Amino acid sequence: MRSLTKIYSDGNKAVDDISFNVHEGEIFGLLGPNGAGKTTTIKMITTLAKPTSGQISVFGVDALRAPQETRRMFGFVPQAISVDGDLTGYENLLIFAKLFFVDRDERKNRILDALEYFGLADKGDVLVKNYSGGMMRRLEIAQALVNRPKILFLDEPSIGLDPYSKKQVVEQVQELNKEFGTTILITTHDMAEADALCDRLSIMNGGKIAITGAPSDLKRSVGGDVLTVKTSGHAISGMPPGLGSVVSSEPGTVKVLVEDGDTAIPRVTDYFERAGATVESVSLSRPTLDDVFMKYAQGGLDEGSFREARSTRRSIARYGR
Amino acid sequence: MNNARRFVSSALTIAEMEARKIRHDSTELWMRGVQPALWLLIFGEVFNALRGLAPGGYTYIQYIAPGVLAQSVLFIAIFYGITIVWERDVGLLTKLLSTPSPRLSVVVGKALAAGVRGVFQGIMIFALALIIGVQLRFDPLDIAGVFVVVILFAMCFAAFSMTLASLLKTRDRMMGIGQAITIPLFFASNAIYPISLMPYWLQVASRFNPLTYVVDAMRSMLLTGDYSGLPVDILALLLSTFFFIACASTVLKRLIE
Repeated sequence: MRSLTKIYSDGNKAVDDISFNVHEGEIFGLLGPNGAGKTTTIKMITTLAKPTSGQISVFGVDALRAPQETRRMFGFVPQAISVDGDLTGYENLLIFAKLFFVDRDERKNRILDALEYFGLADKGDVLVKNYSGGMMRRLEIAQALVNRPKILFLDEPSIGLDPYSKKQVVEQVQELNKEFGTTILITTHDMAEADALCDRLSIMNGGKIAITGAPSDLKRSVGGDVLTVKTSGHAISGMPPGLGSVVSSEPGTVKVLVEDGDTAIPRVTDYFERAGATVESVSLSRPTLDDVFMKYAQGGLDEGSFREARSTRRSIARYGR
Repeated sequence: MNNARRFVSSALTIAEMEARKIRHDSTELWMRGVQPALWLLIFGEVFNALRGLAPGGYTYIQYIAPGVLAQSVLFIAIFYGITIVWERDVGLLTKLLSTPSPRLSVVVGKALAAGVRGVFQGIMIFALALIIGVQLRFDPLDIAGVFVVVILFAMCFAAFSMTLASLLKTRDRMMGIGQAITIPLFFASNAIYPISLMPYWLQVASRFNPLTYVVDAMRSMLLTGDYSGLPVDILALLLSTFFFIACASTVLKRLIE
């Protein structure tokens, strides 16, 4: 998936002239407020919606020209939980294995593997309507994997899950990416999740991409890591370059801006001690993806927020049945 | 696998999905048996007293048995679009369409699924007819032929219903339109009285009603054994089935956009 470009615009302009590349084997995040166009973007890539204009290329295959061929490479986990409650877990996977034309001899093994992998092996013969929300989500991801996709699309995979199930889902996604090298494209509202998972991410707003980059770079762009050092004794007012720079220095408290907070703590402490100060405590505060999100997603929030709020309510009513 | 085999395999898989659901919970099927039972037991018995309503010297209950079968399949099929809207709402449809299976095979598969339900309906009505002693020609080949017609007919109207669902998009509207369509279709057909009794304008209308051809085909196999009208019946049914399946697969993607 080298050059994924897409230009799109309709009356609504849900997605407005965006371009991005997702590299093979990475976890790529699409973040943004409700109604930013994330889901529409995924729908266009998965050939479920037709872009008004633009190009999408997936591993060299033109998604608009050869939609069926493209879909064979995909696993898709939509926003709403959409496994079939009236079938068993095994049957849900079986149907999809068949629809993805998985070889007959291989089907059963793959299904059992997938159930095993997601901790559902003993629930395979239970009707899915008797599953918990977390189990349904895991089954859903298992379902998206029966065809061994090259790219897995996860649209808000942890929405509505308790922290424990959320953590399980995140870990399994990471494992998948590491073990099988599956490229993963994920949309989420959860910044901590995005930070933990994504190699790179884009923040979308009002149908446009506000910024793209690795989480660490993005965080650095809104300010670096700051060490607050409480000392007694000798006051420090300067640091050697390469270690960090003093932002503010008051008696007993020195704030130091550093490159990487974790590795800087021992070095800064060491420097302070050697300079004759006694370090009492060091605390690290680093910008979070929340800060990045606030900075880049704020701009267009006003104009669209009314419509977005309405559409969110609608979808909650729809899924809340 | 070549394209044709893939197409057939996808369509059968989607129908299989439905059959598996029925196996897990068949309550709905039994409930759906109630209405045709009432038509046969009450309406049929009451009008049985009127001699001469049914042509060819048959009793009225014999005459309407094929009509009741056709009608109950029609009810299943015409509301099939509601299932599709529901599947859209919970995301199942999106998921089906995100598989490499061609759109057309999804429509054919869903239509076949309605056919699966229709077959169960047929079995129930045949059983009922046996129990209450309605004289039908229970010839294996004829019965098989009736099931073929049932499947085609269910596919035809399920596809019609999916087309409507793709345009109307909500369950409430589908309920409304379903009610509005079934009764005129039913009355403007030969299901419960012969066309010759109708006023002229209704006779003309009944000629454009697929239900007329279906009932005629079933009646010739179950009652008269006179197959002279059968080719026209089957042709009319095939044409309308192909037409509606083509319509549905063209507009289905509107449901998820």
